[in-house]
Amino acid sequence: MKKYSREWSVAAAFGLLMLSLLIVAPHFFQWQPLLSRVTSQMPAMVVALGVAMVIISRQIDISIGAQFSMCAVIAGLVAASGLPLGVAILAAIAAGALMGALNGLLVAYLGLPSIVVTLATMVTWQEALRLWQQGRLLNLPEGIQWFGQSQESGQAIVIGATALLLILLAWVMKNIAAGRAIYAVGSDAEAARLAGINPQRTTFGVFVSMGVLAALAAVMNLVQSPQIQPSCGDGMELKAIAAAVVGGIAIRGGRGTLWGVLPGLFLLANVNPALTHFHQPPYWEKAIQGLVIILAVVADGWNQKKQSNNG
Amino acid sequence: MSDVEKLLELSEIKKSFGAVRALKGVSFELKAGEVHALLGENGAGKSTLIKVITGAHAPDSGTLTVAGQAVAALTPSKAQEWGIACIYQQPALFPDLSVSENIGLRLKKSAAFAKVDWGKQREVAAKLLERIGAEISPDAEVASLSMPEQQLVEIACALGSGARIVIMDEPTASLTQKEQHLLYAVVRDLRDSGVGVVYISHRLEEIFALADRVTVLRDGESVGTHPVGSLTEAQMIQLMVGREVSAIYPPAESAPGDVVLEMQSVSCAASGIADVSLTVRAGEILGMAGLVGAGRTELARILFGITPASSGSIRLEGKTISIGNPQDAIAQGIAYVPEDRRKHGVILDLPIAHNITMAIHRRIFPQHFLLKQAEQNLAVEMIRDLGIKAFGPEAPGGSLSGGNQQKVSVARWLATKPRLLILDEPTQGVDVGAKSEIHKIIRRLAKDGLAVLMISSDLPEVLGMSDRVAVMRGGRLVAMVDGKKAEAASIMAAALGHSHSDSEKGQEGTR
Amino acid sequence: MSQPTNQPKWTALLAKHETVLLAVILVEILLFQNLGRNFLAESNVSNIFRHSVEIGLLALVMTPVILTGGIDLSLGSMMGLCAVVFGLLVKQYDVSPWLAAVAAISLGAFGGMGNAFLITRMNLPPLIVTLGTFSLFRGLAEALTKGSEAYSGFPQGFLNLGNANVLGLPAQLWVFFLVTLLVWLLVHRTVWGRSLQAIGFAPQGARYAGISVERNTGMAYILAGAIAGLAAVILVARLGEARANVGIGYELLAITAVVLGGTSIFGGSGSISGTLLGYVAIAILNNGLSRITAHQIFDQPVSSVARELSGMLTGLLLLLALAAGVLLKSLATRRARRQSLVTTTNPTPST
Repeated sequence: MKKYSREWSVAAAFGLLMLSLLIVAPHFFQWQPLLSRVTSQMPAMVVALGVAMVIISRQIDISIGAQFSMCAVIAGLVAASGLPLGVAILAAIAAGALMGALNGLLVAYLGLPSIVVTLATMVTWQEALRLWQQGRLLNLPEGIQWFGQSQESGQAIVIGATALLLILLAWVMKNIAAGRAIYAVGSDAEAARLAGINPQRTTFGVFVSMGVLAALAAVMNLVQSPQIQPSCGDGMELKAIAAAVVGGIAIRGGRGTLWGVLPGLFLLANVNPALTHFHQPPYWEKAIQGLVIILAVVADGWNQKKQSNNG
Repeated sequence: MSDVEKLLELSEIKKSFGAVRALKGVSFELKAGEVHALLGENGAGKSTLIKVITGAHAPDSGTLTVAGQAVAALTPSKAQEWGIACIYQQPALFPDLSVSENIGLRLKKSAAFAKVDWGKQREVAAKLLERIGAEISPDAEVASLSMPEQQLVEIACALGSGARIVIMDEPTASLTQKEQHLLYAVVRDLRDSGVGVVYISHRLEEIFALADRVTVLRDGESVGTHPVGSLTEAQMIQLMVGREVSAIYPPAESAPGDVVLEMQSVSCAASGIADVSLTVRAGEILGMAGLVGAGRTELARILFGITPASSGSIRLEGKTISIGNPQDAIAQGIAYVPEDRRKHGVILDLPIAHNITMAIHRRIFPQHFLLKQAEQNLAVEMIRDLGIKAFGPEAPGGSLSGGNQQKVSVARWLATKPRLLILDEPTQGVDVGAKSEIHKIIRRLAKDGLAVLMISSDLPEVLGMSDRVAVMRGGRLVAMVDGKKAEAASIMAAALGHSHSDSEKGQEGTR
Repeated sequence: MSQPTNQPKWTALLAKHETVLLAVILVEILLFQNLGRNFLAESNVSNIFRHSVEIGLLALVMTPVILTGGIDLSLGSMMGLCAVVFGLLVKQYDVSPWLAAVAAISLGAFGGMGNAFLITRMNLPPLIVTLGTFSLFRGLAEALTKGSEAYSGFPQGFLNLGNANVLGLPAQLWVFFLVTLLVWLLVHRTVWGRSLQAIGFAPQGARYAGISVERNTGMAYILAGAIAGLAAVILVARLGEARANVGIGYELLAITAVVLGGTSIFGGSGSISGTLLGYVAIAILNNGLSRITAHQIFDQPVSSVARELSGMLTGLLLLLALAAGVLLKSLATRRARRQSLVTTTNPTPST
């Protein structure tokens, strides 16, 4: 279908990468390591879904990595204090929602540019966390890892929950008035206002959702290991934004579907393992990722130009 | 008529923007089942009045009554609830979304977590589009539609909202003739079903054909409401202009000299200009008339290098030149005072002096270093010369009134010592006093030997100022008339694409 | 006919902004002099600038970029790439350090040109373009050093650039003064700076005035890249080592200094003097905290967590500066609106 050509072309690129791996390095597809790899990519997936919504509303959030770390540490501390995992999850969600609300307040209601606001909150949370935790590894109690289940079931829960979130959010963005309002505000905030949508409330809501998703992602990360690092979210913002942009979310807002995030993230996340399996040095990862991001924006810019010439 | 329900009543509405008083106490009423035309020159306050009715602007004072109830603090969403719908000149649509979703978002304010019924939304959109006879797929993305098509989508939105009050702001400006007739049918249909329609148009014939009553605005004031049948076209123009047309324009003093600009079959595919040939002589004012969207601004943009020509030749003082960007145009001695003063003409945050030297950076600062004294001297000279009312050269452009901003814009281009000066709507949104001063300046420049191309939608201005009048329609030059012999009726007919005899019925007695 | 003019008020506001910053700096100095050890000792004052001059350099050249309404997130990564290429040239190819420094600066300019091309010619948003090059430049630096290699053992003459004193001041401070003068002249005394301002306020308006938006905007990114290259060289001279991970996060500190200095993130208005003050405020904060040994926070002496604490305070300071800027502006426009209402209700005689 022409409408989803962007998403399909990324999926095709990912498919091609997988196909060549299948030929050159079939052991890439060994079940256990593959499952672990996919599971470890799920937190970034959840964050990418959130940032995709933020970008669709014509904003950006680069504080999500710091939010992720903060939520992970808070959940970890609550769990380590002996409270049940459910309480830890709720605490993380509350913290994420609060941090998202602060961003939303400054961006939506004070009209500040989201790039600088989230830059400032990113630095603030990141350094506050370092100050607080001094980079200590946090040991988690027994029952936390894999939700107290076997590794397989734990992995299944993480992957299943992420899939559920993807389906749910993609459906909401497509079929629920609030989701369409996000597209409308990102497409033209003034027209949205004229159509009786409140752009400020919508933007605020998007940032709060982002915070909540960062918290959920942090929990999914938490359960994957017996310890938690306070720096676990460093660089997460770039990974997520890159996944969204490569997946066809237009940085100018109003365009793209959450489904595109899936191949976008998998394509970028597999650069590193693919390099290893192709017997190439892994230190090219970041450069290749940068190149992919630039390629994606150039392609979008080109498409847009072509379209405006037609129109 | 008197017991017919009053849908809308405005009294003594006042609204100012900075130092510009857009509305100085306007009263207006709309009854159910009538088409009420709003008439006035550009800048008379029509757009501001509409924005007050739709809640986009809050008035500074005055009262607004909708369906008998006084309404305070109207917002766009409240206006919608009151059944007020508006079709703006510039469609306010979502470019990234489909036509049916655009219509859906406008029609229904759904609860935040309501599910969108795509099937029904599409059905409603298709029905509305069919009702106005638009051949647009409901699934098309709005960004892929042409401007007139987008306007039709706007009309479908207003129609579908079941509004009691529908405002149409020059809805036919960019429509084809066939689309226009479909629209007329829609308007009559609305009226017959008891809707009140506020109809804004520059086309008098349209007002005669459609409207029941007409209110004329002039300089932010209402100068009267009349049944359409009781007025002749000449009387309407008289009300709009409010003065003897010929008396207020400074007379021509000079005989045109050598040809400065010569365009030969210039076309530009991107902006829809086709095969335009014309000349402008030194000391001559060539007026350019036409409807909004006829391609006049696009022609100016070709000459100024913003959208370069794709074919044809442009000669300046006999030499063939190519203009690829504004820098080329300036180097060749072409100056362009743009239509959108606030966006393109003057940078409001910057001081007057900076604005004036902006196009001559290389000439006034040859070493690339700023020379504040030279800049000040030039600015002071220009301020005095053009009679710009400001506290001084360091006052920011935004602190000036519209007319004085326009003079700063003109000053910037005079500083380039051009050979050809293009003015695009030079007096739009400018008060009467500043308007006549700008006219005097233009006349003086022509007398000094400048070739002037003046684009204007203000017909009396075109007639009063021009040595010759060119008329454009649909991207083509359709008439070239001697300024002394030019008549409003014939120019309007050419702009509309009617043969002269066709339009005579409505145009009788003009001038 | 009287028009209200904001001109004197505007300059007053700007002056006020810089006075406020100056006051902040004074408070910092007084505080740290009381709490810290030897804060105002000559050697420490030298240290403040020796250890932060690279951030100052980036802040200086980030100012014109932000004036155009753009942003450059790639400058820190650019430093990493330039540092690595510099080390590679000197150690592996025996190029003289000074020649290699020129090469590093040229490489920076070249990288800036890449940003400029994508932003101005392809008309892509600066934020996402420089996010891409942020990753690309750092990635190239990592690839060149195979992820972990570092170059060291540079000749003493070169290391002096980072560690010696010239005329009683750190050597690199003289370079900083030179660059400050250059950037100040460019921004406030040339046609280029004037054009940047116009572009930042109204890119379309600038275009209609015959200003080449592409060329002028592009120049800002090229200058930023070149000076990032210079900053990398100075940093290598101070550390005695060229690694791929130098300069991480420096772009954020630079942006903070610029915004703190009163340059509008929306473009158009701003000043180099403001940026300088913003930079000094951050530099003093960082150094001053590292001198406080007698007080504790989270059971740690402040000095041992100075980096984290000053980072957090800088973030908060940036948020405050942003919010204050918007609130002040809305206050000013409200006042202006009230004023214009007063003037317009008096009937104005038309000429």
